[in-house]
Amino acid sequence: MLGRLAIFLAYQLEGSKAFKRWKRIFHNLVENPRSRMRPYFDLFMMVLVTLSVFLYIYEVKHGIDTFGRYFELFAVSLFVCEYLVRLWLCDDSHKTIIEHYEKTEFLDLRFRLWPALRQILLCKWRYATTPFAIIDLLAILPAYQSLPILRVFILLRLFKLLRYAHSINEFIRVLSEKRFELYTLAFFLGFVTFASSTAMYVFEGEVNGGQIKDFSDAVYWSFVTLFTVGYGDITPQTPEGRGITFLLVVSGVGLVAFLTSLLITAFAEKMDELRESRVYAEVEKLKDVILVCGYGRMGQVVVKKLLEDKVHFVIIDRDRERVALAKKRGFLVIMGDASSNEILVKLGIRDRVTTVLSLTGDDVHNVYITLTAHHLNPKLNIISRANKPESARKLEQAGADHVIQPFEIVGLTVAEYVGQPVAFEAVYGMASGDRHFRIEAVLVREGSILDEAQISEIRFEKKRLILFGIIGAAHESRNGLSGYSLRSRFFYFNPAGDFRLHANDILVVFGHEYSINHFKETADKGRLKLSRKTA
Amino acid sequence: MSHGKIALFGCNNLGLGAAGRLNSRQHRFFLVDNDEARVKTAVDRGFDAILADYRDDEVLRSIGIGEDVDTIFCFFPEDSENVFLTISARALAPKLRIVSVVESPEAADKLRAAGADKIIDPYEVSGRKIYEIIKRPIIVDILDQTVYGRHDLKMAEVEIPEGCCLDQRRLSELQWKERYNLILLGVVNRERGKDLRFVTGGVDYKLSAGDVLVVLGPPQEIGAFKQEICVH
Repeated sequence: MLGRLAIFLAYQLEGSKAFKRWKRIFHNLVENPRSRMRPYFDLFMMVLVTLSVFLYIYEVKHGIDTFGRYFELFAVSLFVCEYLVRLWLCDDSHKTIIEHYEKTEFLDLRFRLWPALRQILLCKWRYATTPFAIIDLLAILPAYQSLPILRVFILLRLFKLLRYAHSINEFIRVLSEKRFELYTLAFFLGFVTFASSTAMYVFEGEVNGGQIKDFSDAVYWSFVTLFTVGYGDITPQTPEGRGITFLLVVSGVGLVAFLTSLLITAFAEKMDELRESRVYAEVEKLKDVILVCGYGRMGQVVVKKLLEDKVHFVIIDRDRERVALAKKRGFLVIMGDASSNEILVKLGIRDRVTTVLSLTGDDVHNVYITLTAHHLNPKLNIISRANKPESARKLEQAGADHVIQPFEIVGLTVAEYVGQPVAFEAVYGMASGDRHFRIEAVLVREGSILDEAQISEIRFEKKRLILFGIIGAAHESRNGLSGYSLRSRFFYFNPAGDFRLHANDILVVFGHEYSINHFKETADKGRLKLSRKTA
Repeated sequence: MSHGKIALFGCNNLGLGAAGRLNSRQHRFFLVDNDEARVKTAVDRGFDAILADYRDDEVLRSIGIGEDVDTIFCFFPEDSENVFLTISARALAPKLRIVSVVESPEAADKLRAAGADKIIDPYEVSGRKIYEIIKRPIIVDILDQTVYGRHDLKMAEVEIPEGCCLDQRRLSELQWKERYNLILLGVVNRERGKDLRFVTGGVDYKLSAGDVLVVLGPPQEIGAFKQEICVH
């Protein structure tokens, strides 16, 4: 009976949209590192924790007042809620029940609630014993005012701050990688402390005229001496005790030096990695990222242009000097091989990256980058550089959408220059968008004023524009017109006045950037005036 | 337009790429290099290539610099080589047109000081092109397919000859659109300097002999237009 109720409820939850929505909202609030609400929530909790600890410090001298009591109540209830929400979010309990039920149905067995329940409880228990969950719990405990000793646990709330400060995770990660050395050190420390404490207890006891009353005194003295603090409240009185002190101080100095060097090397080794993990975290927040593989001369030119446009980009390079240069200029940069699946996936090649520029000076590497990127996400726009003419075809085969051939571009510019110097300057200027004159594409939106308009009605010359042509699909009204085929569409050069536009056509216009922007704006907002002859 | 010979220094990818483009345009040109293997590859591809040491003034003079060569291109991979060649050639022929590629951006000023007329930075040009592909893919496609010569749209300069029917006419009188399947991009007024003025502005320009029209269109239309205004 209880089992049936559980199954019914589980299916109800599975089908409920509101339940899922709430779960997603809470997930965004407390867990999802990429949500917009999360940083605010973290900040709020940090402030709350700090305030509650300050209140505790205030209480020590002044005693608690009504406001303090209410504030404490508020903080604790919020902590409890947070704890419960996290416990709820750690897995999907109703799915476990459904899974169990379906398994038993499949095997034609009777459904029993207990195994499913046990699995759910086990899962929750596993979460509850993670360090962060324990810290959360300890932050709640001081609410039991009846036990004064628990009030000290309020200080443990400070640990809760770590939960919200993300850099601490990296700190812990670095330390955990030096686990072996730290364990060795801890073992050595334990051994030395134990041996010296025992010796002190034996030689420096009150029986022998020493100051050590019991074993805990001996341990306390050993620690203070070993870490070279030496308060001097307990001092060795016997020659044996002094001998032990010599040994302990020497090993203490060695120990401290060893520990310090251990920590420093651990961080020095991981410094690059730490910095890089920051880059990855930063990239994770972005959308529509361009990946620039290779920060050589060509990469630098492109990056400079991208920067002017405020487009998001990440640089990957294998060369240490170039990476340092990019870093100095304040760009997001990863040192490594751009053809490594791991780096590309971590940078979000599947969802965040839209374009990959493979611009290294090595064609083999470019082909490999292109292939890897295309394989990981076929929808990417990949632009690749071919340093040798033979490589162009290979790059296209590897999945490059555009292949840039520097020598060919130079050849073209040279040919234009020799043929017609002035026209060359015009083309060069237009292609590079210099001198404020440029060619631009203007899309005819559905239902816009341009839709169904005739070319002669638009009067480009009045708008100080030159119409080069129209890119559009073949249409019955365009039969008999010759267009240049352009991928799946046609380019109609210099169309006649009675040429009729349709939605999704693209006008290719030339003019000063002001004129172009003005034209686009008026066309988009429907303020463009057409000169209809019959209207 | 140019009637002299063109010399391309450096039989590398850049030189061969440029030579490949020039070939179809009916220019008299030859490649020069001081490396035998590279000269051989150029000859194998069917180009006219000479093995010569550019460091020797006598050799430069013997291949026609200061005489019938009117344009040289410096395609050497090292900036220092290009600078040396530019200086030598400029000393021999003050009127020579010198175009050089540049490897590092700092060298551009040095080349200009050495006497080069035009500097081409391959990285800069390519980098800009990549940016254009990202920013305006359609436009790049059109330019690639049409103006840059894979389809049959060409950009041309047409000089208005003495006694032509266009002389002393205003642009608005031409009824450009009705008469020619050409786009008039701009006009260069020889008297006012070499600058190209785009005809997008509202200025109704008055043409005179010696002006150069920059037009865009299919080659046969350009040819017909030249016929009509009697350019021979």
